[in-house]
Amino acid sequence: MTGSLKLEDVSVGYGRKPVLNHLDIGPLPPGSLVAVVGSNAVGKSTLLKAIAGLRTSSGRILLGDTDLSRLPLSGRVRLVGYLSQALPQPTSLVAYEAVTSAFRAVRGDLSTAEAERMVDEVFTALDLRNIALRRLSEMSGGQRQMVGLAQVLVRKPPLLLLDEPTSALDLRWQLNVLETVRTITRDDKVICLMAIHDINLALRFCDQLIVLGGGGLLAAGQPDVVMDAGLLRRAYGIEGRVEHCSRGFPIVLTDRAVAAPPMPQ
Amino acid sequence: MTVSRDDASSAGLALQYRRFVATRVAILIGLAVTLGLSFLADVATGTSSLAAGDILRGLVDSSTLTRSQSVILWDVRLPYALMAILVGAALGLAGAEMQTVLNNALASPFTLGVSAAAMLGASVVIVFNVLPAWLDQNYGIALGAFIFAVGSTMLIQALSRLYGATVDTVVLFGIAMVFVLNALTALIQFVANTDALQQVVFWNMGSLTRATWDKIAIVAVVLALCLPLSMTQVWAMTALRGGEDHARSFGIPVERLRLVVMLRVSLLAAVAVCFVGTIGFIGLVGPHIARLALGEDHRFYLPGSALAGALVLSLSSVASKLIIPGIILPVGIVTSLVGIPLFMGLILSQRRRA
Repeated sequence: MTGSLKLEDVSVGYGRKPVLNHLDIGPLPPGSLVAVVGSNAVGKSTLLKAIAGLRTSSGRILLGDTDLSRLPLSGRVRLVGYLSQALPQPTSLVAYEAVTSAFRAVRGDLSTAEAERMVDEVFTALDLRNIALRRLSEMSGGQRQMVGLAQVLVRKPPLLLLDEPTSALDLRWQLNVLETVRTITRDDKVICLMAIHDINLALRFCDQLIVLGGGGLLAAGQPDVVMDAGLLRRAYGIEGRVEHCSRGFPIVLTDRAVAAPPMPQ
Repeated sequence: MTVSRDDASSAGLALQYRRFVATRVAILIGLAVTLGLSFLADVATGTSSLAAGDILRGLVDSSTLTRSQSVILWDVRLPYALMAILVGAALGLAGAEMQTVLNNALASPFTLGVSAAAMLGASVVIVFNVLPAWLDQNYGIALGAFIFAVGSTMLIQALSRLYGATVDTVVLFGIAMVFVLNALTALIQFVANTDALQQVVFWNMGSLTRATWDKIAIVAVVLALCLPLSMTQVWAMTALRGGEDHARSFGIPVERLRLVVMLRVSLLAAVAVCFVGTIGFIGLVGPHIARLALGEDHRFYLPGSALAGALVLSLSSVASKLIIPGIILPVGIVTSLVGIPLFMGLILSQRRRA
């Protein structure tokens, strides 16, 4: 049990240009699947990178009692699994090697048998066994995205940061990914922050919503509580409605663009 | 290479993968055996007639050879043949690691200026005779070449660290460096006297005829130190193939890895090049052959690149003695003239299949 994720007064920037200022988020308890949404260039990726330690930030990023921002990269890796928005390169590695190497490069302590068992598990969980021996150079973008996800999930970190994990996937695989992530977060008490553009997928699967805008937090909370027409206008500059489908899930219907969304300072 | 779903569910993935890589192990063994045969062919060919049977007997029991045969075998044939293998392996390995850390299949000791720098160093020593008196000229030239070769890669590293450069910038620096170094070498050639000029030009051709047992020992020791170190980093290097961002997010210290690898391969390439001169193409073709045959899992790719580099240079060495009977052509010329058409053919046939 690693405890909740809490961000206290976190600011991140690129060079001298601040992107996110004085952000307070959480605490998000173990088992949370959290969607990070907002317009383009609002800092979704930046936030995930900062938590992953790939971007320097100020403030405190607490996972339980551990301040992640004070851990060296090698220590953070045990706790955090980050999936980059970029797809893995189309190299002549086969998927099995891509996943195994990502795992074993940093987990020299595991026996071969143990590593093989964990790699096998992740291929099964993501339904990728039939492309395990295919070269990445021969795969579609979506397949490579799934391999990238497998590289992260295989390490079983207690905190998952997924940057647009479904951007290259068709409907079936989007569902596959979200259902898998949903199961992992619930069963293994994992916290997952997921940057995602598809707002309806976010509303359907996530139990928390973090809406970024204007260099800070616009709203946070349960999807059906925070998401409304006013927030759509503020976050995206659109006129839209939040309705409910026959199964009771909220759905966003977009009507028209009204204004450019507020850009970060 | 796809596996049907039934297959996949019946056996563990690890087992399937082991079956899959058995082919690669076989290819590695095949490469090693072919290299052994090429080595024997290299020893058995030459300008003086020495029957293959005599040579084999002489290797086992040197008393069966006449004195002159013994000299030919031990001071000419064997050192050349061994040097070809060691230099080829060193350049193949150096090229493979450079290509991975710079994420660029065109990176090699040649394209990044290691050879051009070695050439400049050798030219400086030959033309200006800047040698301490106690040093044999042969070694002095090699030392000059070595210092310049290592210096050039250090300079590229320093520049790219200073400007926080991406891998593409490193490659661009390297290419810019090649032009500057070549211009400086040309300048030195312009002011050189006829004797020195001839020596410089010949050095540049890249030849195994400068091989001696001492030099072989030096290259062998450096290779024996570098290859095991390379093999300790195979997982990180393999993971780096997925992309820099991915590798960093797995917790691999990409910058440090790149620095360590570049230091190691520049040493390796500089030692190889300084004793034999400019042999350009091995560091490019070794890794390409290995990638086509073995994929990019560095457990196979790195030894494969070394073996492929060694094999290409060894075969070139054989060819260099056969093309014009009675004359040993500089092997640098042969690798380019014979090797490159073969290499292009290999790539084009691969493209057509893909």
